[in-house]
Amino acid sequence: MEPGDSTKQARAAAQLRKGVLEYCVLALMRDRPRYGVELLHALEESGALATSQGTVYPLLSRLRRDDLVTTTWQESASGPPRRYYALTDSGRAALDEFTRVWPGFRNAVDAFLTTPHPSTGDTQ
Amino acid sequence: MKTSADPVRDYLSAVEREGSALPADRRQELLADLAEHIEVTRAERPDAPIGEVLAELGDPRTIAATALAEAGSALPGAPARSGAGAPLRRGKVHPLVPLLMLTLSLPFMMVFPDLPGPLFGVLFRITGAVLLCTSVHWTAVQKTTGVLLTAVLPSAVIATWNLSGAPAGTPSLVANLITLALLAGAAAWLWRVRRA
Repeated sequence: MEPGDSTKQARAAAQLRKGVLEYCVLALMRDRPRYGVELLHALEESGALATSQGTVYPLLSRLRRDDLVTTTWQESASGPPRRYYALTDSGRAALDEFTRVWPGFRNAVDAFLTTPHPSTGDTQ
Repeated sequence: MKTSADPVRDYLSAVEREGSALPADRRQELLADLAEHIEVTRAERPDAPIGEVLAELGDPRTIAATALAEAGSALPGAPARSGAGAPLRRGKVHPLVPLLMLTLSLPFMMVFPDLPGPLFGVLFRITGAVLLCTSVHWTAVQKTTGVLLTAVLPSAVIATWNLSGAPAGTPSLVANLITLALLAGAAAWLWRVRRA
């Protein structure tokens, strides 16, 4: 299978998303518990993190198994009860750790992308 | 999505079919999550056509593939994780194993001073050192320090002692006990600084 050029470009975005999506999902629960559809709306509105909605559920399932989030059912004024996802202590710790390393990571990538690199040891 | 009497049921059956390689509990959980999502979305957007709701949810095959990847490397059809899983398996020995082998090699040689006792002791020490070096529980510096203190140094001391032709007896026992204390101390240090 030889992917076309557009597929290759989409792959860059997909690879990035794969790495950061779970931390963005955890960040969405930082202030209060959220239910699945609510999480998906927030991801959709972000643009870059929008993904095929259904693929977020396996991710949420893993976060639950890894004890980073817990779930509780809550009744709703309209429609069926919603399953709310909330951060556990280890989920919060994972989010804090990501929050700590992300700026350095982001700056390093920015530096690679924007700074012209001299081809030899010449430092201008 | 083809029109059908029950598009939701068709959609969920498609996910079930595509996710047939998933463990049953994971598959049921995924189906329950998706069914709940559809129900909640329909309650929140009663005017949205069901085809649109399902299209937003995405291709059943993609969802099943993501679930397989999240489920880990042991499953067939999850190549995304199998590459990352292989190096993890290497060095997955419990950290106590190399430490015990390194520490116990000396008392073993003390208890069984006649052949093949020392031979087994040396093999223990070498195996312990190899396991220590290939373990994921220590950094390179810690491994080097550990191997020097628990394998190289005692071996050098014992070899020097034996080559110098010193008589066996009380001084040999004292030297052995001092070396043993050093081994135990180094092993205890390695145990304390290990990574989970």
